[in-house]
Amino acid sequence: MRNSVNRPPTPDAVEDQEKEPTLQEIINIKMIESGEKEKLMELLRERLVECGWKDEMKALCRAYIKKKGTNNVTVDDLVHVITPKGRASIPDSIKTELLLRIRAFLASAAL
Amino acid sequence: MSLTNDDNMSAHSQVSSHFFEDLLDSIIVDVASECHRVARLGLDRNFEEEEEELRLSAQARARVADSSNNGETNSKYVVDIFGQTHPPVANEIFECMNCGRSIVAGRFAPHLEKCMGKGRKARLKVTRSATAAQNRYTRGSPGSSYSSYSNSTGMNRLSNGASSGVAGEEYSNGSFEEL
Repeated sequence: MRNSVNRPPTPDAVEDQEKEPTLQEIINIKMIESGEKEKLMELLRERLVECGWKDEMKALCRAYIKKKGTNNVTVDDLVHVITPKGRASIPDSIKTELLLRIRAFLASAAL
Repeated sequence: MSLTNDDNMSAHSQVSSHFFEDLLDSIIVDVASECHRVARLGLDRNFEEEEEELRLSAQARARVADSSNNGETNSKYVVDIFGQTHPPVANEIFECMNCGRSIVAGRFAPHLEKCMGKGRKARLKVTRSATAAQNRYTRGSPGSSYSSYSNSTGMNRLSNGASSGVAGEEYSNGSFEEL
């Protein structure tokens, strides 16, 4: 029987091989599921407020907004303004504290 | 795949750092978003007042410079028991410890009012809406909100009548959270 329709054979649906989740992803999921990520986030927020980091960032924002004009500023702009200074001005004690807690969690989750 | 202890450690520290950076980035975005919101909604009373402040401070400084020249024309000089005269506008200039600007002493009180907030409803509105939500989120259980309430007993009398647990809390953070 002649094929009335000439068509190439249906290609096999190319299935994206499910990549094995990376360690980073596993950690993230575990952190969120156990609620630890939330706790760490709040801890970090608190520490950053205490040490005045948040105020410094807000001052940077205000200065930038003043310069550019209130209506010409986007959140994205502000993020780009704060990020380099923000990352650099984290006090070491806070960074250490958080890193220790994260690693303690990793150890306890036997990863 | 068995990792040696060392491999494990370095993988751990890499992942930890990465995770920390993620947390930090989220917080940075939050701060940026908050500032953006306050600026756009015009909630920052200090923002417009800064121009006014600078003007008034400059005025005060000019007056101070002047009156030290023509003391005769100023009839308000008081003479105290030591025979010293005091200029009407206190002419010391120093730095405000809150915002770091150089302020003439005579303008310091009004400046502090604006700098630290007058405790009026308008200021309450800023800290209330922007940070009360965050504070409530942070505080979580009613148990902890009680403890912060009792900590700020000194501040509570400033929250005029509209006192709830939230109003008390926001004042305990007021000096930090105020824009």
